Amino acid sequence: MKLSATYAFKAPGEKVFAALVDPAILQKCIEGCEKMEKTGEDSYDAHLKIGVAGIKGSYVGKVRIEEKKTPESFTLQVEGKGSPGWVKGKARIQISPKGERSELQCESEGQVGGLIAQVGSRLVEAVAKKMQDEFFRKLGQQLGG
Amino acid sequence: MIPAAFDYVRPTTLDEALGLLAKYGEDAKVLAGGHSLIPAMKLRLSQPKVVVDIGRLGDLRSISEQDGKIAIGALTTHYEIESSDLLRHSCPLLPEVAGKIGDVQVRNKGTIGGSCAHADPAGDWPAAMLALDAEFEIAGPRGSRTVAAKDFFVDMLTSALESGEILKLIQVPMTAKTAAYVKFAQKASGFAIAGVAAVVDKARKGVAVAVTGVAAKAYRAAGTESSLGGLELSETTIATAAQKAADGVDPLSDIHASAEFRAHLARVLAKRALELAAGRG
Amino acid sequence: MAATTENATETKVSQRYFGRAMKRVEDPRLIKGIATYVDDLKLPGVLHAEFVRSPHANAKIKSIKTDDASKLSGVIGIFTGADVNDKVGTIPCAAPLPGGKSPDHTVLAGARAYFVGHPVAVVVAETRAIARDAQDLVEVDYEPLPAVVDPEKALEEGSPLTHPELGTNVAFTWSVSGGDVEAAFKEADKVLKIRIVHPRLTPMAMEPRGCAASWHAGESSLTFWSSTQIPHYLRTLLPGLIRIPENKLRVVAPEVGGGFGSKLNLYPEEVVVGHLAIRLDRPVKWIEGRRENAAATIHGRDQIGNHEIAVRKDGTLLAIRTKIIADIGSYCQLLTPAIPTGTGNMHCGCYKLKAVRVDITGVHTNKMSTDAYRGAGRPEAAYLIERIMDLVADELSLDPVQVRLKNMPESTEFPLNTATGLVYDSGNYQAALEKAQELAEWPKLLQERDAARDAGRLFGIGVSTYVEICALGPSKTMPAGGWEWGCVRIEISGKVTVITGTTPHGQGQETSFAQIAADRLGVPIEDIVVLHGDTATAHYGRDTYGSRATALGGTAIVMSIDKIIEKAKTLATALLNSTPEKVEFNDGKFFVSGEAKNALGWGQLASEAYIAKNLPPGFEPGLEASSFFEPPNCTFPFGTHIVAVEVDRDTGQVKILKYVAVDDCGKQVNPLLVAGQVQGGIAQSIGAALMEKTVYDENGQLLTGEFMDYAIPRATDIPDFVLGSTETPSPSNPLGVKGVGEAGTIGATPAIANAVVDALSPLGIRHLDLPFTPERVWRAIQGNGGQS
Repeated sequence: MKLSATYAFKAPGEKVFAALVDPAILQKCIEGCEKMEKTGEDSYDAHLKIGVAGIKGSYVGKVRIEEKKTPESFTLQVEGKGSPGWVKGKARIQISPKGERSELQCESEGQVGGLIAQVGSRLVEAVAKKMQDEFFRKLGQQLGG
Repeated sequence: MIPAAFDYVRPTTLDEALGLLAKYGEDAKVLAGGHSLIPAMKLRLSQPKVVVDIGRLGDLRSISEQDGKIAIGALTTHYEIESSDLLRHSCPLLPEVAGKIGDVQVRNKGTIGGSCAHADPAGDWPAAMLALDAEFEIAGPRGSRTVAAKDFFVDMLTSALESGEILKLIQVPMTAKTAAYVKFAQKASGFAIAGVAAVVDKARKGVAVAVTGVAAKAYRAAGTESSLGGLELSETTIATAAQKAADGVDPLSDIHASAEFRAHLARVLAKRALELAAGRG
Repeated sequence: MAATTENATETKVSQRYFGRAMKRVEDPRLIKGIATYVDDLKLPGVLHAEFVRSPHANAKIKSIKTDDASKLSGVIGIFTGADVNDKVGTIPCAAPLPGGKSPDHTVLAGARAYFVGHPVAVVVAETRAIARDAQDLVEVDYEPLPAVVDPEKALEEGSPLTHPELGTNVAFTWSVSGGDVEAAFKEADKVLKIRIVHPRLTPMAMEPRGCAASWHAGESSLTFWSSTQIPHYLRTLLPGLIRIPENKLRVVAPEVGGGFGSKLNLYPEEVVVGHLAIRLDRPVKWIEGRRENAAATIHGRDQIGNHEIAVRKDGTLLAIRTKIIADIGSYCQLLTPAIPTGTGNMHCGCYKLKAVRVDITGVHTNKMSTDAYRGAGRPEAAYLIERIMDLVADELSLDPVQVRLKNMPESTEFPLNTATGLVYDSGNYQAALEKAQELAEWPKLLQERDAARDAGRLFGIGVSTYVEICALGPSKTMPAGGWEWGCVRIEISGKVTVITGTTPHGQGQETSFAQIAADRLGVPIEDIVVLHGDTATAHYGRDTYGSRATALGGTAIVMSIDKIIEKAKTLATALLNSTPEKVEFNDGKFFVSGEAKNALGWGQLASEAYIAKNLPPGFEPGLEASSFFEPPNCTFPFGTHIVAVEVDRDTGQVKILKYVAVDDCGKQVNPLLVAGQVQGGIAQSIGAALMEKTVYDENGQLLTGEFMDYAIPRATDIPDFVLGSTETPSPSNPLGVKGVGEAGTIGATPAIANAVVDALSPLGIRHLDLPFTPERVWRAIQGNGGQS
């Protein structure tokens, strides 16, 4: 599953970048993220409760920030597993400054396995897109609009 | 195939049910017909700690005429709707939709309220509810409120019901016989890959066309409706209008149907539903 | 006719029951719900097992943590590969091919998981709910690896390897050929090329798998119950794996809710349950859920064929060169290689091909294994040869029926030597075709098509003339004996007990064998009981698969009955104070010719035989005989199916408007059973043609793991059939029976496929791969392909 989207922010590029690599802000942006602990330079353990409506699953996962090119781009690697299955995703983030504002290009690809792949495949792409949109909407809020 | 352990409570009044939901919050899940909840529990995709079975709330199970509209209790089963003489005469779209849901066993147990609250993107009811501009009466800890259909289906598997609320009643208008529901079912599950409900108002020269199964939630095909507004319905006008039935939506895609095919089916079924509806009166 | 019935007694067999459409004696208990399936067994103190399965198609297993799961109250133990694999044997393949490469198939995953659903650990607990809860708490740390999913890509240089230690994804190669293929191609007026894909299918028996085992410590013996088609094979194979002697193992197949080949296997779960029952000294039961069944019970078909066909302008088939890639999944199960080789052997279909060459490559991928599924290789063969015939007709602008007739042998040419080396026993393909056309009202059907086409409708007619091979088979060609065993006993009371080594699981032999025995013994059918499925009762047998039970099991019973009649005659002669030439046997009675009033019935003879006060010198007491029947050949049922369909141009939906099937299974013991088998086979073929496909995504995730996503036909999908039959007896057994359990599945899919392609042919479409889902058909109509 591949997603490609662009998001606009009323904040300069460096500020957006800094927010994205800040675990405290990341946790607020990820819906259902109950815990995010730094385990190393640019790597974190995360506890997530994600899903749709009543169908939520608990996942324990790892988040890593790679190929960091402050303040323009980085790659986010996420993998998590829980009883509903496992998820694995990669998002390439590219930030283009536009004066006091900036534009963020997100190219992501993800895979799921286990129960959610088997019985939820028609929902997976829509849920992933929704989660991604929600993430950047919350980021926008964190950045002050 | 075995759910995670849960407690089971069965209130006898709506107030008692609301009290239980307030008490248990996120830990509770309402059980109506059970044909969405129980499969999810058996797969352990849903693991409520408390199941609040509202099946005994007889007041929520009814079909009656009220002030020139029809009021359907949330616990009314699909079968009861399918076999209702009152609806057959006054709002025939509903029995037609009901008869296409799942199979006989599902229709005997499943409820219109439970189905709408579940808001499955491929469920049949949302198309009819949107096409009829139905109104949803919701009971909650702070009293009752009414939500229009267009605001009730919020997103995939998400309705306007807030935590602690229970859907009480659905109100639909009385319509002429010129209504139809056409469905293209996913062969395995019986859910709609595309389902189109069309209500034709010949007197006012207007149509309502709603599509389910195609996008993350059911939608009114605004382009199709406006194309036909004020026009005489003919094979040509319907065909042209139906071409817009997938405009502006992001169709779902899975192993059963690509986004392209879903969009195509929306257009094909919109045409068929309109022709069928128009031909009925 | 086989030599078995050449005995001194002229057996006048009444025909009161043979050939009669009788309701089954099995049905009342099944319908009332009082039959005993594995899950109905009540074993005191039983423990429940649940398997932890890999959610990855390919992964290293780094660690398995069981502490949290073990702490749950009621959990007796959690066992992983490390706990079990060195204590039991590995799962065998009974049909390995020379040069084939196979990894050790340990019962639980060892260092790696090879497919989604691969059992990695097993939880044993006091209740199923506790086992299920504990299953969630077992933590397996996987390191996922790239999955091998596409069998063609798996053969490319640089592809990841399913089993790295084998150094290749090729599991086996095999070929069959006959005649001078090169010369035939040189002689050809035209050479056609076509790629035909037969998708993977999931058998989806109504009852998923399940087994239970009980260790009797005092006797050091084990009773093993399983929802299986092959209790006898299990009794042969399990002892080596769970390390107990064969004669201390009893295997029982209770009521089995459908097998279709998916229960013709020795499964790792069965071995684990047997092992744990001994290890824990408590009965253990395991019942599979549907998701497990879809992921970890053997799949069927999955072949990609590239074909070159050499033809003459007049429609004569000269030769076919075929290369098949068979996606066999991660392991060879019991008969995995024998399925595509079966396709190769039956490649010629009903036609006199001068030359043929079939090369098959079995490929290991990160999926569940394929193995026998109703038809087991023959549906694939019938499908590709029947598609080829239509393609040939289309290419040469000839009538598809005429092209078939042109290449068919005459009924007088049997036994027929085929280019692949098989010898077809008997056949009259023209008669079945003619009858089918008659039942289909052929000229009217053609007119209907013309009228529909004039009106712009997509209406198509498809024909399939098929032959298949069953009643497996001569022991020289079988992995572990192809004979069948039958025992008949006249009890003291005169009642009859028939014991068969076949293992019916829905086929109805409790009824049909009683019909055969009732006629041959001249007793009322109510006096006969047919026992099966328990190795303590049916000591030996080769079980039920490959449509063999009636042809082989029925014959073994006939042989035993004839031995009893012979023996009884000796006793009767003595009791009647007569001489052998003067004593007759008719309608269940022995009497001196002309003195029918003074007859001895089975009750009297049995009484004498067991109470043994008046036995002639040298006469062994008892009236019981058992026999092994070794068949001289397989049998070759055949038939013609004719289908008319209409395709909805806008939605791609296919509707079957007419379905005619004429099947020849030789002599029919019970036409009701025959019709039931044909209908069921056709239903499964409709599924394969129109809606079924096992789908793995690019990561090897199974996307069709539930009935939410894997569509099988419902009653409303099945058209009204017009069924007919011809009867060309088989010379391969004295009953003249061929077998019909799989014929419907073999003949039907090609007929439907040919009909759909015919419907789309006005749009220029010449071929379309299965399944004909609405979207696939719609895309073909749009001109976007639709080929897989």
